[in-house]
Formats: sequence, C-alpha cells, structure tokens
Amino acid sequence: MISFIPRLPYRIQVPTGLAVAVTVSVLMVSIVAARISERTARREIVVTVQRVITLLAAQGRPLLVAEDTFRAYALLRNTAALLPDADKGHTRAAILDADGRFLAGSDPLRLPTGEQALGVSVNARLLPRAKDVTTPRTVAAADGSLSLLQPILSEDEKVIGFVLAEVDAATFAPDWMALSKPGLIGAALAILVLGPLGWLAGRRMAQPIAQIVRSIALIGRVDPAKVRELLPTVADIELGQIAGAVHRLVGEMVANQANEQRALAAERLAAVGRITAAVAHEINNPLAGLLTAVRTLRLHGDAPDTRLRTVDLIERGLHQIGTMTTALLPQARVEDRCLSPNDLEDVMTLARANASTHAVSLDAARELGADLLVASTVFRQVMLNLLLNAIKAAGEGGQVHAALYADPQTVRFTVSNTGRAMSKTELQQRLGTEGGNDPQGFGLWICQEFAIRYGGGFEASDPSAISPPFSTSLSFWLPNRHHHDDQEVAAD
Amino acid sequence: MRRRRFLDCIAAVGLPLVGAHASAAAPTLRVGLTAVILADQAAFLARWSEYLSERVGVAVTFVARDSYQAILDLLFAKQLDAAWICGYPYVRHQAQLRLLAVPLYQGRPLYQSYLIRTRGAANLNGWSDLKGRVLAYSDPLSNSGWLVGQAQLRAAGLGPQDLRRSFFAHGHSNVADAVASGLAQAGCIDGYVWETMHLQKMATVAATQVIWRSDFYGFPPIVVRRDDPNAALALLGQTLLRMHDEPGGQDLLRALNLGGFAKPAPALYDSIRSLVKLVHGAHA
Repeated sequence: MISFIPRLPYRIQVPTGLAVAVTVSVLMVSIVAARISERTARREIVVTVQRVITLLAAQGRPLLVAEDTFRAYALLRNTAALLPDADKGHTRAAILDADGRFLAGSDPLRLPTGEQALGVSVNARLLPRAKDVTTPRTVAAADGSLSLLQPILSEDEKVIGFVLAEVDAATFAPDWMALSKPGLIGAALAILVLGPLGWLAGRRMAQPIAQIVRSIALIGRVDPAKVRELLPTVADIELGQIAGAVHRLVGEMVANQANEQRALAAERLAAVGRITAAVAHEINNPLAGLLTAVRTLRLHGDAPDTRLRTVDLIERGLHQIGTMTTALLPQARVEDRCLSPNDLEDVMTLARANASTHAVSLDAARELGADLLVASTVFRQVMLNLLLNAIKAAGEGGQVHAALYADPQTVRFTVSNTGRAMSKTELQQRLGTEGGNDPQGFGLWICQEFAIRYGGGFEASDPSAISPPFSTSLSFWLPNRHHHDDQEVAAD
Repeated sequence: MRRRRFLDCIAAVGLPLVGAHASAAAPTLRVGLTAVILADQAAFLARWSEYLSERVGVAVTFVARDSYQAILDLLFAKQLDAAWICGYPYVRHQAQLRLLAVPLYQGRPLYQSYLIRTRGAANLNGWSDLKGRVLAYSDPLSNSGWLVGQAQLRAAGLGPQDLRRSFFAHGHSNVADAVASGLAQAGCIDGYVWETMHLQKMATVAATQVIWRSDFYGFPPIVVRRDDPNAALALLGQTLLRMHDEPGGQDLLRALNLGGFAKPAPALYDSIRSLVKLVHGAHA
C-alpha cells in the first residue's frame, strides 16, 4: 500500500491522504473518548443506580412492611426503567425482606420471589449476609460487575429489608457504536467535502511541478530563453526554490555555452595562427636554400652542370613548398613520390647555408638496406626541421651529424648534435601543448605530428647511448612501405 | 398502561361524582366496580354510564377500586349505591346486602376459578405441585382468586407454610401479570376474567396456561344495601335485566363478554357458602 500510493497522481494521493488522516483521527479520538467515557460512565452509572436505590428504599418501605409482593414488583418494574441498560437486561433491582430473601424483583426469573439472596451466591455473585449489611454496600465481582445493597430502615432505625441492584459488566463497556457514530458521520462529511477539494488541490499542486518537469526535460533541446519562459511562477516556497534552481541552472548553462563559444573561437584563432606560423615556417626553411641556389646560379650559372643541378635544386625546393602548402590544406590528398638518396643531399644542401651561418660543422651518412618507400615530402620536411633544430641547438662551433637508415621495416633519420642536451622528458615537454604553442618548438611538434599521423615514431635517445661528442640525438622513423600515399592525409 | 387507564377512569369518572354526592347537589347512582370485571376501560365505562343514565333517569356513575374491601367500605359508608362484588363477600355480608342482578356468562349465571401457571412450566400440573412454589392470589375477598385456592390447597394437603411464598396481586389481571412475568409460578384467577383477557388477546394471558378448572360457582353479583330505599335502584336493576333486549345494551354486553343480566336467587351462592364453611373451619 505504502509503495503503491506514491505511484498515484497527486489529485488522488491528496484526497486519499486527507481521507486516511481524517479516518485515523476519528479512530484515535474515538479510542481516547471511549477510555474517558468508560471512566466517567462507570462513575455516572453507579451514581444513577444509587439514586434509584434510594428511591426504591423510600417507596418500598411500606410495601415491605405490608409484604406486598405485587406492588413491590410493580414499583421495581417501573423504577428499574431508570436503571442504565435495563432494557437490555444488564441491570435489575430487587427488594429483599429482613432475612435477605427476595420479596420481589424487577426481573423475577433472575431475582426469584421468596429465594434467599443474601449470604449466598446469586447470579454468580456472592453477597454478604443480611446481618452484615447495616450500611450501603458495593460488592464488585471479578468480571467487573457490581452489586449495590442498601438496607431499608424502619423509623426506629431497625433493618426491615434491603434494596439490591445488580449491574452487569456489559453496562460499563463503552458503546463503540454510539461513541464513534458522531465521529464517523463527521468523517464521512469531511471526506465528502475534502475528496473533491483534495482532488482540486492535488491537481493544482501537481500542475506547476509537471510544468517544471517539462521545462527541465527541454533543457539542452530548445533555447534556454524558451525554457525560462516555460518555467511557472509559483508562490509555494519549495516549488519556488525548485523553479529558482532551474532558472539558475539555465542561466549557468547559457553562461557556459557563451564561454564555450568564446573558447572555440579562441581555439580556432589559435589554430589559424598555428597554421599560418607552420606555413610560414615550412616555406621559410627551403627559401633559404633556394636563395642560396639562386646566388649560386647567378655566380656559377654559366657552367652547364652547375646550372642544371641548381635549377633542379630550385625545382625540387619549389615542389616541396607546393607540396607542403597543399598538405596543410584540410581534406586534401597529396600526391607524392618516394624518398630518394638525393633528397638527403638536397636537405643537407639547404641546411648547410644555415650551418655555415652559425659556424656549425654538418655532415651526413646513409646506410640503406632497403628501398626507400616513404613519402619524400614528409621525410624531407622532417629531415630539414631536425637539421635546422640541431644546428640551432649546437650553437656556434658545434657539430651536427645526420644519418639516414633504411631496412625493410623502417626508414629512420637520426640527427645528433653537440651543445645543450635534450632528454626524453624534455622533448616530451617541448612536444606538449605548451610546446605546440611555442613557435620556437614548432618544427619538433610538426615532426611529432607526422610520426603519429603516419604510424611512425619520434624520440630522443637516452644520453648513455649517444656517442661523444654529441649530447643530443633525435630520431624520426616511418614504416617503410610502398603504399605510403594511402596513409597520407594532409596535415591540419 | 392498563393500570394508568384504570387510574384515569377513577379520576375522570369516579372521584368527582363521589364528591358531588357528598354535597347532594344532584340525584346520582354510584356503582362500585371491583376486579370481577376488567374495570380499567374508561371509554367503555363512559358509554355504559351514559346508557344506564338515560334509562334509569338519574346519572349513573362508576367508581372502581382494586380491592373488594375498599368497595364494600364505600358501600357500607353509603358512598356507593350499588356494587359489583364477588360472591364470597356477598356471602359474608348477605345480611346487609340485597342481590340486584347477576350476569349471565355463556348463558348461565355461573363461572369457574382457574389455576394458571407460567407457560412452559411443565413440572407444575396441579395443586399438589405447588409445594415450595410461589402462588399469586387476586384478593382476600375473592372466591375464585383466593377462597377456592384455599380449599384446594387444603384438599391437596398443603398449608400456607408449604408454599415458598404467596401474595395478593390486587386483581385478577394482575394475577395473570404476576404469573406471566415469573413473579409467581402459579396463580388463582377468575375464569371469566382470564377467558375475557384471552378473547382480547392480551399478552400477559398468552404467557400463561390453565392447569386446573374448578366447579361452577355463582357469578359475582351486583348488590345494594338491603335497607336502601332508593327507588332508582329498582330502575337500575330492571335496566340491567333488559340490556340484552336492546342493540345498545347488546353492544355493551358483548364488550363485557357477557350474555346479559338475570334476577338472582340467594341459593345461587350456596356452593360458596359451603366453601366458606370449609375454609373457615379449616382455619379454625
């Protein structure tokens, strides 16, 4: 029942609850009233019986003197009607002679004329002997019934007889029907009135709650302003608190959404900035080599071999720039060739200009145990980035050594440099978010991104594994496979 | 209720007229009633009084008392002109009384005494079963309600001390009431009264059973003082004797459960005289 009621709607719960409350109240009041009534009723019954006894003693005296059984009976029959519950046979009275025998009784079958009453058990009650009753006596039986005795005295104070009244225990029992009848009528009327009122109150109470629930359900689906419009205005304190909380929730959501929009815009701006910086960086790197090639061409362009090699260099450099810009466009597929040993030479050529500027000694080695089946554009970009980074890290008078390895599984490019050491941890920190936003570490970040995107790796060697005089050794590798184009996706 | 109506009858019919007689304001015949009939029917008595008054020529009123002695006292004190009493007090005071009329019950001026018991009291079937029982009488001057019972108890070998208790109920209908309620286990009652109550389907009679019927005795007569010279009394007697000839009188007789009135002879009460001798001799 208890688990069932909460599943009912308020318009049923409220009147049902009111009805139950009224009924329980009536029951409690009836029980308390019955207890009080039982106490007071017993006292009142005894007082009433005593008054009847007094009347019978006065009226019965001449009849007792005349031994007028019938008139005594008529007196008892009429007077006994004054006794409580006499009509139910729960009380009766008798006049006894001086020896304690019944002269007459209001109920002759239970109080038989001429039979001994005092000193013997009558109707399961043992009454005192006649000589022991000189004053009014009350004899209580174990079952709660009472026998009241009063001597009838002559004018000279001699006991000439007695009045006996018997009150059964049932007379003292609360009349539950009579006690509960007013309460039940009141409860019925209250339920009659409170039922419809409770139904209306329940519906009125549930209406704003349902509206709040509907509003909450719409959060995230419709405009927050619409949600706020749907929230009811309630006077109830608790409901007002709920509605207020929903208002605040919607407000916070609006603020969060605005913050998110601002953050997204900032992120987009940052991304645009990074792309711009990357484009500038990637274009700027080969530009230095191209400018050197142009100067070479200007100075030594007359020599056919030099001119042809320089022009080829310029063409490849321009192709790299074109490929890089294309690769930086979202959703674009890149058509690229495989890396060749000449690419290492090109990169070295491009980097030497920078190395010479910083007075850094630069050399390269290659150990190719398999065909190079990696994208030339990506690998050239990585090699150039790592060389420029190493030249910068080596500083004035430093040394940089590059090595290209290839086996059937991987193509690896390792750059070692003197100067400040860079541990694995430091490299990871440089590659983190902070490093990504740092234009100075952007080349390394691009290497990391390429390694991730093409299923390769980029790491710093453990210092103990680096051959002197070098302090830092960075290694980039990609899987050596022919269908590299399928895996290539333009960088963001 | 019946008792209340009886008292109303006294108040409305009897007492004012007794007072009027005392002042001798107007000629009136006062007739005393006892328990020999169901006297507490004020409407009937009013109709009967009117009937008699029209025919006698003087106002006839009824005065009821619940004991024969009270009526006799009023009669001998000249507070009453006539009285409907039992045959036993007539026999006792026949020197001072004169028979005016005797009712005819079931065609004869005779009636019986009944011994009744509470309905269902199967172990009480006769006078000899009354030992240790409570017996109700009607009146100490009643033939059927006392004298007959005394004779029968004597015949059964029982004396007053053999009964647990006996009492007078002050009227035959009260005897039926006492036995019906269990106040007494048995009662001596006028057979005519019991039968009339039975005819009227009274509840108290329905709760009793007749277990013995006596021989026939002279029906309770209407008597006057032997030395009363009031001529209206003769007219009253003649009116009573002619009641059964008139429709109005027949209606009244039907209400009384009687067939009419007859001119009585003193010998009608010889059986009661014998009973008196028997009982008084026994008491002596």
